[in-house]
Amino acid sequence: MLARAAQNLYWMARYLERAENTARLINSTTDVLLDLPHGATLGWDTLIKAVGLDELFSKQYSQANEDSIMRFMIEDEQNPSSILSCVKYARENTRTLRELLPEDLWECINSLYLYLRANANLATTSRRERYLVLNNVIAKRHAIVGLISGVMAHDLAYQFIRLGRNIERADMTTRILDINFAVSIPEDMALYEMSIERLWMSTLKALSAYQTYRRLKAVHVSSKNVIDFLINDEHFPRSLLYCLNEMESCLCVVPFSETVLSTVRNSRTNLLKLLSDNLQNGELHELLDLTQKDLGEINTALNKQYFHAKVGQQQSQSDAEMVQ
Amino acid sequence: MLNTWNKEQIMEISLSEYKSITAYDELFDANLRPRSAAQPLFDYLNSLDANELLARRQAVETNIMAMGITFTIYSEAGNIDRAWPFDVIPRVMSRAEWDPIQEGLKQRLTALNLFINDLYNKQQIVSDGVFPREVLEGSVNFRPQCVGVTPRFGVWAHICGTDLVRDRDGTVYVLEDNLRVPSGVSYMLENRQIMKRIFPEVFRTTSILPVDDYPTQLYQTLAALSPRPGDQPVIAVLTPGIYNSAYFEHSYLAQQMGAHLVEGQDLLVGTDDRVYMKNIFGLQQVDVIYRRIDDHFLDPEVFSPDSMLGVPGLMRAWRKGNVGIANAPGAGVADDKVVYAFVPQIIRYYLDQDPILANVPSYLCMYPDQCEHVLKNLDKLVVKPANESGGYGMMIGPRADEAERAKFADLIRANPRNYMAQPTLEISTAPTLVDGKLAPRHLDLRPFILQSDKLYVTTGGLTRVALRQGSLVVNSSQGGGSKDTWIVEEMPSC
Repeated sequence: MLARAAQNLYWMARYLERAENTARLINSTTDVLLDLPHGATLGWDTLIKAVGLDELFSKQYSQANEDSIMRFMIEDEQNPSSILSCVKYARENTRTLRELLPEDLWECINSLYLYLRANANLATTSRRERYLVLNNVIAKRHAIVGLISGVMAHDLAYQFIRLGRNIERADMTTRILDINFAVSIPEDMALYEMSIERLWMSTLKALSAYQTYRRLKAVHVSSKNVIDFLINDEHFPRSLLYCLNEMESCLCVVPFSETVLSTVRNSRTNLLKLLSDNLQNGELHELLDLTQKDLGEINTALNKQYFHAKVGQQQSQSDAEMVQ
Repeated sequence: MLNTWNKEQIMEISLSEYKSITAYDELFDANLRPRSAAQPLFDYLNSLDANELLARRQAVETNIMAMGITFTIYSEAGNIDRAWPFDVIPRVMSRAEWDPIQEGLKQRLTALNLFINDLYNKQQIVSDGVFPREVLEGSVNFRPQCVGVTPRFGVWAHICGTDLVRDRDGTVYVLEDNLRVPSGVSYMLENRQIMKRIFPEVFRTTSILPVDDYPTQLYQTLAALSPRPGDQPVIAVLTPGIYNSAYFEHSYLAQQMGAHLVEGQDLLVGTDDRVYMKNIFGLQQVDVIYRRIDDHFLDPEVFSPDSMLGVPGLMRAWRKGNVGIANAPGAGVADDKVVYAFVPQIIRYYLDQDPILANVPSYLCMYPDQCEHVLKNLDKLVVKPANESGGYGMMIGPRADEAERAKFADLIRANPRNYMAQPTLEISTAPTLVDGKLAPRHLDLRPFILQSDKLYVTTGGLTRVALRQGSLVVNSSQGGGSKDTWIVEEMPSC
């Protein structure tokens, strides 16, 4: 497979995952805002801080309110991580990859793009419409994932898609887990308890993890349990451990992956070691920072290994066959 | 009685428009009755009510958007991806009429390939005085870098798109042979897909010959060029990239053939003069390149040195026979409107046969007497530059004003070799859905002909239609659209 094609597949998957995650994050934040007691300051600006876009936002908008932040996160094409931008880039990437992907996949992504372009504006103006539009984005994205897993050959191209999806998913999980770090909570003890529980519940919901958490972990929502679940659960597909395991299993079938594989395994070791140290509140933030750095290193290792073929790196005939 | 056209039942015909023109219509005879090959189509259309047809047309547009069938328009405001304009009324031709056309196209390409190979080698046709040396010397598409090469099978133009038009008396003429990087075949294939999705019933009742074996035929044509026969050849489609107006087609054909879609940056030529693709595990040898970029950009070592689209060393690899390139560099020498005028002689010279397809009479401005004739009759002729494509830089005499004619007279005097002229043909029309009525719109037909170890012609081709009333320009970059093209097997009538 062409190095450039592998890179485009990887980024197509990352963009689609990011679009969906952002849609989920917005929906769950809307949900929790309705429930928080007065005095708690989870604001919309927390959201853009969490996804690391606060600087870009303040360059373009003078006021951080629900309206402007929604416009920025959903339809602003100046924001490379807005849902519309992500879908647009994914579509452009798919265009360069049509020969590697199932035919229907292009139509699916194209129709997601056309839908979003027609409705993004609606989604920024009313909460009710927003909920509907974002849910449709999520559903259409799932149709795409379904096609990829059900119709596409599970060949090398597929592994690069899986790698992109999982690294992006892990990244978003670290960011959503980190949101609560930025929230200040009323000091009134009763309200405090309630707020904390609400916040962690919203974290779970942002990752569609609430139901699974209750089934697999505990009925009561406590910070320790939620953190442990979202970092360390072996079965939940959005936990950090799960994503890293997925990447490991992709790399086990992709040849010449030793270097990247050891980066993935390192970051998993780091994660589990730090977690076992019984985290205090502030330490979670540091742990998540480190994990994000590790994910960056995995990205760099993939770049070096696969996305830039070098002269003198002739492929033997048996490698050529694997590529077919 | 069956042949009577009952206009109450279906779409209204725009009588005023039909009465105002004298062109041949592909589907209606002079009395606006369906021609026999089109009869089943109209029987079917008659079974729909007008609203149903409009609803299906709407469905077509939705489908085109969802399928993402687009082409790119270059403009100062940035490049815009436009949905492919498509007319739901197909263009129908009987197989009996198509078969000789197909033979004529094969004959033409065979002769042209012999001609190109001769020009780059012995130049026998020049020494025999059939093809003038001064035309060859003035050709901008002759590539000295290709002299002495004989590609596999002696074939240079493996993929040819020939434009055909029909004049008022029903004669089909070849308008031009596109031997460089002809485009449009993906639209031919997609048009059929759309029609099958939207009008599945009619394919049951009418015997419409399929078009969808083109990708397989193209693959085989390319595979035959591999320097490593026996192996499963590695085939790549070389595209200038996503901003090219035909990018859709490049990716479509790569997908249909299971070939790699590459840009210049994805390839390199090693010190062993072989071409390699930059893969995830290193470099993989490429056997055949279906290039969709012009000669000038192919290889910065040989042609335009600042080309970012090409691959340094590609010509070296090709000359050594280490890679097949389709179409071969330099094949464009026969794709020139002055050379066009000589095609009948070229066919006679190499094949000792009479041309099956008619050439439009052409006046070459390089000859003083013909030039004089052209300058005197600018108001009656179509003037074309020898080497432009896409309908750019031409003048349709009867439609031009005095100033434009004067401008062209100056251009011709300044560079006579670069111009030729032809009588204005009255290009045929076909009914096209315009504001809910069937109105006549001018059209042409571009079949695609393949040649390597064997010859193949698409069943029909791409019908391009000028959507503006009275317009003769069918290019998609200038307001043209397209129609599905049906070659139908006529049932013997009892």
